[in-house]
Amino acid sequence: MRTPRALRPLTESLATVALGLVAGGLLIWAFGHSPVAAYRALAVGAFGTREDLLETLAFATPLMLTALTFAVGVRAGLFNIGAEGQMYLGAVGATFVAGMVPMPAGVHLAAATLAGMAAGALWALIPAVLKAWRGAHEVISTIMCNWIALHLSMYLAINFLAEPGRAERTVPALPTARYPVLSEESTLTAVLFVAVGFALVVYAYLWGTRAGYELRLAGENPDAARYAGVRPERVVVLSFVIGGLAAGLAGASQVIGRPPAWSLYATLGNVTTLGFDGIGVALVGRNHPVGGILAAVLFGALAQGGRLMEYEVGVLSELVRALNGIIVFAMAVPELWTLLRRRLAR
Amino acid sequence: MRWVWWLVAAAVLVGAPRLLERAGLPPVSLLETGLLAMTPLALAAVGECLNEKAGLVNIGLEAIFMVSATVAVWFAEVGRSGYTGLLGGAAVGALLGLGLGAVSVYGRADQIIAGMGLNVFALGFVPFLLISLWAFPGIHVFPNELMVPRVSTPVGQVSPVTLAAVALAVLAHLLLHRTVLGFRIRAVGEKPEAVDVAGLRVDRLRLLTATVGGALAGLGGAFLPLGWFGALVKEISAGRGFIALACVVFAGLEPLLALGAALLFGLADGFASAVAVTPGVKERVPFYFVAMIPYALTLGVVAAVIGRRRFPSTVGRPYARE
Amino acid sequence: MREQAPRVQMRGIHKVYPDGTAALKGVDFRVHAGEIVALLGENGAGKTTLMKVLSGLLRPTRGAIFVDGRPVLFRNPSDALRCGIGMVHQVFTLVPPFTALQNVLLGQEGTGALSPLPEASARARVAALLEEVGLEVPLDVPVESLPVGVQQRVEICKTLYRGTSVLILDEPTSALTPVEVEEFFRFLRRLRDRGAAIVLITHKLREVLEVSDRVVVLRQGLVAGELPTSSATAEKLAELMVGQLTALRVRKSPRAPGKPVLSVRGLTVRNDQGRVAVRDLSFDVREGEIVGVAGVEGNGQSELVQALTGLRQPDSGEVYLEGERVPFVEPLALYRRGLAHVPEDKARFGLALGFDLVENSILGRQREPQFVRRLGRLNRPVILRYAQDLVRRFHVVAPDLATPVRSLSGGNQQRLLVGREISKEPRLVVAMHPTRGLDVASTLYIRELLVQMRDAGKAVLLVSADLDEVLELSDRIAVMYAGQFVGLGPADQFRRETVGLLMGGVVPADDADAARAPSPH
Repeated sequence: MRTPRALRPLTESLATVALGLVAGGLLIWAFGHSPVAAYRALAVGAFGTREDLLETLAFATPLMLTALTFAVGVRAGLFNIGAEGQMYLGAVGATFVAGMVPMPAGVHLAAATLAGMAAGALWALIPAVLKAWRGAHEVISTIMCNWIALHLSMYLAINFLAEPGRAERTVPALPTARYPVLSEESTLTAVLFVAVGFALVVYAYLWGTRAGYELRLAGENPDAARYAGVRPERVVVLSFVIGGLAAGLAGASQVIGRPPAWSLYATLGNVTTLGFDGIGVALVGRNHPVGGILAAVLFGALAQGGRLMEYEVGVLSELVRALNGIIVFAMAVPELWTLLRRRLAR
Repeated sequence: MRWVWWLVAAAVLVGAPRLLERAGLPPVSLLETGLLAMTPLALAAVGECLNEKAGLVNIGLEAIFMVSATVAVWFAEVGRSGYTGLLGGAAVGALLGLGLGAVSVYGRADQIIAGMGLNVFALGFVPFLLISLWAFPGIHVFPNELMVPRVSTPVGQVSPVTLAAVALAVLAHLLLHRTVLGFRIRAVGEKPEAVDVAGLRVDRLRLLTATVGGALAGLGGAFLPLGWFGALVKEISAGRGFIALACVVFAGLEPLLALGAALLFGLADGFASAVAVTPGVKERVPFYFVAMIPYALTLGVVAAVIGRRRFPSTVGRPYARE
Repeated sequence: MREQAPRVQMRGIHKVYPDGTAALKGVDFRVHAGEIVALLGENGAGKTTLMKVLSGLLRPTRGAIFVDGRPVLFRNPSDALRCGIGMVHQVFTLVPPFTALQNVLLGQEGTGALSPLPEASARARVAALLEEVGLEVPLDVPVESLPVGVQQRVEICKTLYRGTSVLILDEPTSALTPVEVEEFFRFLRRLRDRGAAIVLITHKLREVLEVSDRVVVLRQGLVAGELPTSSATAEKLAELMVGQLTALRVRKSPRAPGKPVLSVRGLTVRNDQGRVAVRDLSFDVREGEIVGVAGVEGNGQSELVQALTGLRQPDSGEVYLEGERVPFVEPLALYRRGLAHVPEDKARFGLALGFDLVENSILGRQREPQFVRRLGRLNRPVILRYAQDLVRRFHVVAPDLATPVRSLSGGNQQRLLVGREISKEPRLVVAMHPTRGLDVASTLYIRELLVQMRDAGKAVLLVSADLDEVLELSDRIAVMYAGQFVGLGPADQFRRETVGLLMGGVVPADDADAARAPSPH
């Protein structure tokens, strides 16, 4: 079977996802459940009704943003796996402005959003600076920053943002700082449009501007970038800041753009792991902002459908994350599909 | 430059006990905790030193910690012995290491992405396992008699696994620098082409180190519940896999130095836990900041030392004949 | 003539690479004991591939190999070694931090995997071998600190230590000075006379005629001809190699140079290991002249070019472009003042292989006002037109502009790169190894472009390891040795032999005038 060259990335991504599903099916089967039943429940849960579909989009919203964090890093030649921590701080920043700083409607929503993005970007500056001027490996430093961010955010949430009388969560966002709910039967809000818009802006920036060109050049070939007069430190900082803005927005979206809590849990339970999930989304989306949007819908469907799978078949929805890992693992093998294609051609 | 850091570390080791005594933290129990915390880091770091010397990098140590810890407890319960658990953990670690090695060697995978894939997988698979095996999502406490018993030594109660970790570090050092196999491992990391044209198998050497590295990390993971905590939670490794990676970098891939680095980080961990539980101290420092200590230290070390280290020229790069 | 069966015989060898390129299309090849066979051909003719098949590094797609008349199947290099076949690769396969002795020992330790390395007992054997064949190698120094010529001896020693009687050498002279080459050829003849079979892969006609007994010429994966060296001439071999006799020389008319464009004063540059690579160097390049820098690679040429083009920070010294002092390590500032740079390794510095032709056409020019609109946006239509223009003007063959540059041939990649640099309307062109690895047509074309630049009044600094290229194109020639120019003067004062000696650091007495470094003005 021959596929046109331009479609190859798409078919390969989908094939890898299919491979992940098969591997996940084996796991489900190994632990004594029926993969067919599980996946049927998953599909029904994700796409069965209008509200399921909207809920899928609600799950997709933060994923397309954390995917952007990873993707922009890869495009600049960096492994920024700090979306997790940047997202925590973004959620804290948004919660603070949305819940504790009264402002007029309209302005308030924008201010809370920007506060979240700024907090994420600021947190991203730590590994950025360590990388640019100390050569510290970004994988280790971003992971360490994630753990520090976890404890710092819980500390801030409990000591400064806690809702009086309710230890388990922070003050909710004031009504002026909430994104409008798009449909009462789901948790999808207008923050989806902000997320998609931001991804498109990043796309236009990376492929349509001089600075974006230089960023991608540094990722594609660092020596050629030096030849072209690109300063590597600037690229490192720029890509981390863009990634931090995206992750910060992702964190904010879960507080001011996701009913019913409209707040951050003290355990950070409503944001944890969304950052790591973004890695798989980014890879399936071929580290492209637009690809990331599409892949996020796919992973959003897995997350939403996973809930019905857990409820009906008893397969823990956490399995979806294991599946995500398998997909990332498979995406790491560039030869996989080349090898397979050659086998098939023979 | 490196010796300055070791000098600083030595000064801290000598000076710290006095200060701690005055602050109400008993140094002996601190050392005991420090050695416990050192053990998984040392095991994983020593294995990863071998692995990186051969030109592979395993970012998935964290995943191996998590999965091995869980599976080890299951093995211990089935085999009714902590030692069975340790073996099971090491075996699972070896398998995961081998798998990662295989995709790196034969699939020419991007090793960082593959390793992160393993980590994300563990993030979902471990909670799934906890539910599937014990139908209990939070914490699983296993019978105390499954714990690997500690032995009395001049420096306090020490786990035999800790002693094994020290011995393994020495063995790894001897292997690398005193044997033909180590000679070949160092060669394959620096110049796989040379090993290939010499008629040796690049793939086998790398699979070997990936598997051994995985097994050591698996042993470290098994040690977390069976030798240290006495219980299982899903976030049991809490970033230790990455701290072990930092130890490897800090040590410039030398197993003995990695052991030292692991001790340093272990003591920081021990210090943090001591501060968190000691009356009179714990009230004054918010727990969250204490919990940050190991991570902040790692971040500082990574920022302070690295950059100028010499690494085998092919770490993380797949080898292929043109 | 010969009664006994050939040591090695290859029949109908085909090799198709995984990406579909057919490198060998049915090649027959043999070599007897006690002869030196030259395997001649252009880059990409399949010489190296054929020998990689023979040494077990590659498996043939089709075809058979016989050793002493018996069919064999090599799965890996050690299978070939067992039959006495060993290859010294063009890119050395030495472990840099290991000593020569350790490199020789690798894979030949002869003890169990967990026993200590038997260095002491091996030393005597290695020393005896070196003595026997007449090679000199320091055994206890890390090979990374040895000169390239000595590293090559370590490679050969490594191969011989494995009991090799069929020795394959891939372009062994490319890193040697002419004097070293002479010595090396004496060594090869000695080895042959002791009964070894030797295959010499080369594209240099001179060497073929000098040292070989028989020549096999490959062209596009096929044997284009085979003849005893005694009946071969340079013209005949060249014709077999490239298919037809082409005018390989670029026409060049005399031209009086103008005022200096590039002035270098007291430049000292260190290499990556921190050693001084360029030592207190001063020279000028003037309008309308090509200054060619010859020399064996590794004598500071890379560091010199990198310092001049903003890729490396010099220790000290000054560089002037048209009389104005230029800042170091700021490539963009240099480009603005009229520098065009054809870097030594196009795939590493000059191109982003994953980017398409359009994006590569502005690499290094991405900040020029004509390509950028308000808010730092790239001016797509202008860039597209410019890329189309480049492709047309410089005859770049590509399916379309959206093709990643990775999938172009080396010649077309270099055309795009040189075209981009030349279209900057520069004052100074710095080109290093501009035709390395290119096909004949592209080589000729690029050389013509450099001469055109000179004729248009630009200053051209040409650094090349290809002595013939330097001799052919330059108005003035400098020979670089150990970080300094050991000769700098008008091209007609240099004979080939003189340059050869200078490249080895030998200043010949009768050419002392030309060799004495003249004042830079």
